[in-house]
Amino acid sequence: MSEEYDVEFVERGDREARFLVRGITPGFANGIRRAMVADVPTMAIDTVRFIENSSVMFDEQLALRLGLVPLTTPPEGEFVEDDTVTLSIDVEGPATAYSGDLVSSDSLVEPADENVPIIELKDGQRLEAEADARLERGKDHAKHQGGVAVGYRHLQRVEVVDDLPEFQEPESQIVRGVVEENGELVPTSEFDHDLSTRHPGKEIRLEDVPNAFVFHVETDGSFSVEELVTRAVDSIEARATELEDAVQL
Amino acid sequence: MELRVTESSENELSIEIAGEDHTFMNVLKGALLEHEDVSAATYDVNPEQSGGQTEPILTIKTEGDVDPLEALEEGAAGVRTKTTAFREAFEAAV
Amino acid sequence: MSYKCSRCKRDVQLDEYGGVRCPYCGHRVLLKERSRDVKEVGVR
Repeated sequence: MSEEYDVEFVERGDREARFLVRGITPGFANGIRRAMVADVPTMAIDTVRFIENSSVMFDEQLALRLGLVPLTTPPEGEFVEDDTVTLSIDVEGPATAYSGDLVSSDSLVEPADENVPIIELKDGQRLEAEADARLERGKDHAKHQGGVAVGYRHLQRVEVVDDLPEFQEPESQIVRGVVEENGELVPTSEFDHDLSTRHPGKEIRLEDVPNAFVFHVETDGSFSVEELVTRAVDSIEARATELEDAVQL
Repeated sequence: MELRVTESSENELSIEIAGEDHTFMNVLKGALLEHEDVSAATYDVNPEQSGGQTEPILTIKTEGDVDPLEALEEGAAGVRTKTTAFREAFEAAV
Repeated sequence: MSYKCSRCKRDVQLDEYGGVRCPYCGHRVLLKERSRDVKEVGVR
């Protein structure tokens, strides 16, 4: 079995990217997508100890909000599942407690965003708490999902076939994702997702390119897109290795 | 990952792969179908709420005198080839 | 158990026989204070 893949980035940011993979089967593409959503572990707050909470919300409500704050996840191998990191928060009103007020005991695990509001505190109200973050998988709880908005679409090939008949009503032709035109990759957002504005008065043929998928990946800030993709692939590989070893015995 | 053989004969094997879901099973099935001596490969999973058998069961049929368990081992190796190739291609693009 | 009188805002300790009444101002509405223990909550 020889496998030949070709990867090309279309858009690339730290938290959001679009890339094309050629030569991949739909099943394997879906396996990678599913692994990104449910199988790559991330850090999230799991238990909270409230020392003082004179705010207007219950401890349980605040705990849930703290749990939903995305935390940066350390490099693979630094942590194992069930390791914990303690974070503390101490805010006195009048002020709003933000995710950025969480002080971590480990610089590898910190709030990915500073500006997630937790609660508005009025004069005299105070929130003081200590929280333990744990490494778990998206399968266990949505707060451990590193990949948000992860998906793929077929790459579509655009071909200008002919001129439209002179008196034909112009009709819009909507495509979303990335198209291939004369060997060039064009995100459909460049022409407002409408092929009739790109090629007015032309007849166009659109077809899916077999085994070519454009992934769109966005992370919650736990790690970069590259990290998420490689860790997802690693998780599938780890299972294959485990199965191989188990069968050999 | 716990394995339990539910049915086994010379050319056919049914095996429960506990703790896995579509993510891995579908990729594995895909790799098995690419195997030369595998004539059929499929898996079945029931939803968690259904009660009864909820772990995936993989069924493999082989041709000739090929041991289905050996085919499974090669299928798992096939998944590994895919992941390694993908990682290489991805890292080359980064 | 500690309570706070809702009228004079003073801390009140209740004993078994005194009934529900503020010993300082005689008001009968008392508010229960949050205990000072650390409370552990699981996030699920």
